[in-house]
Amino acid sequence: MIELTSLKKRISAWIDERYEISNLISYMKKKSVPKFRATFWYYLGGITLLLFIVQVVSGILLLMYYKGTENLAFESVQFINTKVYFGWLIRSIHSWSANLMILGAFLHMFSVFFLRSYRKPRELTWYTGFILLLLGFGFGFSGYLLPWNELAYFATKVGTDIVKQVPFVGHYFMVLLRGGEEVTGATLSRFYGFHVAVLPAIFTVFLTAHLMFIQRQGIHEPEDWKNKSESERSYMPFFPNFLLRDLLLWLIVINILAILAVFFPWELGQKANAFAPAPKGIRPEWYFMFMFQTLKYIPGKVWFIDGELLGIGFFGIAGFLWFMLPFWDKRTKIGIRNKLLNYIGIIVIMFIIVLTILGYVLE
Amino acid sequence: MKKIIYIVALLFLVIGINQVFSKKKPIIVGDDLCENCHLTLEDKNLLPAQAYATDIHKSKNITCADCHGGDATTYDMDVAMDRNRGFLGVPKPQDRMKMCIKCHSDEKRMKRLGSALPTDQFKKLQNSVHGQPSSNNRGYIADCISCHGVHNIASPGNPASTVYATKIPALCGNCHSNANYMKMYNHKLPIDQVEKYKTSLHGIQNSKGDITVAQCASCHGHHDIRTAKDPKSSVYVSNIPEVCSKCHSDAKKMSKYNLPTDQYSKFVTSVHGVALLKKHDMSAPSCNSCHGNHGAVPPGVESISNVCGTCHNLNGEMFSKSPHKAAFDKEHLPECETCHGNHGIMPTTDNMIGTGSETTCIKCHDESDKGKGNEYAYEMRRLIDSLKADEKNVLSLLGQANALGMDVADAMFAMKDIRQVLIQTRTCIHLANFRVFKETLQPGFEITKKAAIEGKNAIDDYHFRRTGLGFATIIVTILALSLYLKIKKIEKVQKEKS
Amino acid sequence: MNSSNHIGSPESPKKGRREFINYLLGGSFAAWLISIVYPIYHFLEPPKVEEVKVSNLKVGKVGDMEKESGKIVKFGSKPVLVVRTAAGDYKAFSATCTHLDCIVQYRKDYGQIYCACHNGRYDLNGRNISGPPPAPLAKYNIAIKGDEVIVFKDES
Repeated sequence: MIELTSLKKRISAWIDERYEISNLISYMKKKSVPKFRATFWYYLGGITLLLFIVQVVSGILLLMYYKGTENLAFESVQFINTKVYFGWLIRSIHSWSANLMILGAFLHMFSVFFLRSYRKPRELTWYTGFILLLLGFGFGFSGYLLPWNELAYFATKVGTDIVKQVPFVGHYFMVLLRGGEEVTGATLSRFYGFHVAVLPAIFTVFLTAHLMFIQRQGIHEPEDWKNKSESERSYMPFFPNFLLRDLLLWLIVINILAILAVFFPWELGQKANAFAPAPKGIRPEWYFMFMFQTLKYIPGKVWFIDGELLGIGFFGIAGFLWFMLPFWDKRTKIGIRNKLLNYIGIIVIMFIIVLTILGYVLE
Repeated sequence: MKKIIYIVALLFLVIGINQVFSKKKPIIVGDDLCENCHLTLEDKNLLPAQAYATDIHKSKNITCADCHGGDATTYDMDVAMDRNRGFLGVPKPQDRMKMCIKCHSDEKRMKRLGSALPTDQFKKLQNSVHGQPSSNNRGYIADCISCHGVHNIASPGNPASTVYATKIPALCGNCHSNANYMKMYNHKLPIDQVEKYKTSLHGIQNSKGDITVAQCASCHGHHDIRTAKDPKSSVYVSNIPEVCSKCHSDAKKMSKYNLPTDQYSKFVTSVHGVALLKKHDMSAPSCNSCHGNHGAVPPGVESISNVCGTCHNLNGEMFSKSPHKAAFDKEHLPECETCHGNHGIMPTTDNMIGTGSETTCIKCHDESDKGKGNEYAYEMRRLIDSLKADEKNVLSLLGQANALGMDVADAMFAMKDIRQVLIQTRTCIHLANFRVFKETLQPGFEITKKAAIEGKNAIDDYHFRRTGLGFATIIVTILALSLYLKIKKIEKVQKEKS
Repeated sequence: MNSSNHIGSPESPKKGRREFINYLLGGSFAAWLISIVYPIYHFLEPPKVEEVKVSNLKVGKVGDMEKESGKIVKFGSKPVLVVRTAAGDYKAFSATCTHLDCIVQYRKDYGQIYCACHNGRYDLNGRNISGPPPAPLAKYNIAIKGDEVIVFKDES
């Protein structure tokens, strides 16, 4: 026992000598997390990160059997689902984790929004976070097509068709996305490439920056703490307290994933057939539903502008404004409460929730 | 001098008149000088004029000149038959139809002549198989004259007509029974139709002078005859039932022969009728497939299995080998028809076999049957039903496993063979051999048994997954709990320190 | 500097309980790790069945089949009849009869493809020549690579 302990010490000394791990640990120990009624929301970023890690691991595993061609994509996913040991589990976890990751990212974003954590000096964290969310959408959109089933095929057809509406460059981008005029095997290859190479590469860059910013700047404190005395503020050390709590939560999330995968296995549906009539209930992934549904409500022509174009313009501008939030939220920047923002945030959330529900209910 | 001339002239006249009157044939002197003169001539110059006396066209005041041209107002042959004055003589083969068309395709003219005949015959002929250029390229293969004749034309209802019902078979046979002639046009076409026709019930009646029965034109049409391969032909395979029904569904016509008239209405709802007329399956049988066409006779009681067997060959073969064959023949039961019916034949179902009231077996093998027939019929039905029930159950089990996301593709694949086993079994019922029946059906039960095991295993595996998850959850719970305790402990220590 | 001191000091009064928690933590963590690694390890194990290659299928060596014989192979989920002709050529057709979906077979005595259900026959080009089949058998392609006979379906 004693020998083991001394061996452990010698190894950590060996590593420490070269990589100064103890520096890092003492740094982490000094770091603290504010302790107050909204501390729970601080875990959401970590959960989203965990789900991303699960995505990477399960995605790499799926790569071992997946075949990204028109003839084999569906069959290989079917093969994974039925023939590969625990293939059903890995695939189901990949699908579930993907959806929960987007959900986690949404919740994380809104918690940051309402806690005003994006304000100076954390603007870049907000920007990179927003870009990570968009990249997450990209993962979702490209991954949705990969099983090459009927629903995904037509959803991709509709989705890429919307791109075409963008004036001047729309058609060009659509062809670029589809790898041709139509959704074909070429689109599948392309989306496969995006999903496993292009997006992960870009995502890694922004994720690293996002995490580095947090490490550098520490965790944001509630706005009203500025007016509070030292004794009224309460902190929790990042290491080990917060980190261990984080790990505890991760464990639970992983188990929830397993339960979801076992009890609600992700369906595969029918193989895509370009010549088959479009099936009923073509729908995008749920996180696109509110946009999809909004486009349905906009009339074909508004004044002289094409309805769909108007919708795209609306979401483009809204998305851009949301992205630029730290820039135009002048009041929070200088430390004044900006109640208007809370209303905006609630309206946005209500809008998303109501339209998503409408999208599913009115099918 | 003048007197001498008068006398000579008178003498000539007397001799002339004498000569005219010396012929024994009656001479009708009419307004048509062509006719008048030709009646005094001999042989080929006489015959047309003689025949024309009863021609329907004469009754419509159509003169020789109307077709042949020339001047009908003079006896001077040089003038009357002057080609410069429009005399045509015998029309060239390619031109002779034109004489007919002149009036028969002209509605107004026909009306003026007091005829109610249609005026589309030529148009129809042009599109018909006979309206093609003849091999010597002089007109059509068959034109108006080929069938209707010349100078002695009569309406088809007139027994004197060349196209009177009883004369038609021979008329068509003129060309169609002539091998050398037919070689010029369609060497593959048989030349025995007329011979066969004579043996058919239609032909026998026809030769007795019965004009109600079908002859060539009744089925093939007249002016618009097309080959049987032409979908527009009245004898195209899918048009045949209607053609036959024209007479055979006519109660008035059939009353004479004491024949039923429901064959057509039964046929259209039968499995064959639906296949042919609704699904347009040209390999499905039409009336003539069983009854023949030119030699149309109902199949005899003992030849039915051969007739049906042309298509249902395995069934026919098996039936011939079965003990039913001899038994049916003895009882004069019409083989296939006994169980399946004839014109209104319905798709077979498993309800036909067994001992229920709707089965065909009990017609002979009722409970009083001393042999094993009743028992076997009951057993056969029971086995088929039980395989079908097994199939349904196993498929639902596999479906269940499938819905649970388990892979049962192999079992599903094996289950496809059940269909085959059932079809083969149903076919081998015709052997009426219980041993063979059982042997054919047996593999089906083995397949369902194996598939059921696979399905059950798959469902078991599904439950194994849940158990596995349960264990993992217990582990995670313990781990989470101990982690939680650890955190509490650490924080307690931290508090104590501070 | 020494972080382990901080978590579990040996001088702690409740040493036994703390050690128990440490063991529980370590033990359940190891068990949890196994429950994660186990499925992943098995996932990586190649499944017993051959991987799906619906676009082509090896049916054996050229000499494996006798001349004038046929055999049924499973092509994806569809049965395919591979026939070796008298001349030694290979041919492949869908083995599903176009009449009522029975499985056809090669009959040496007829030199034809034969369906036992209703005596349907096809010639060696898959054409329905006798009996009830309404349509020819779907053709599969044969490629011979080295001495390996491969059945494949032209997707185009």
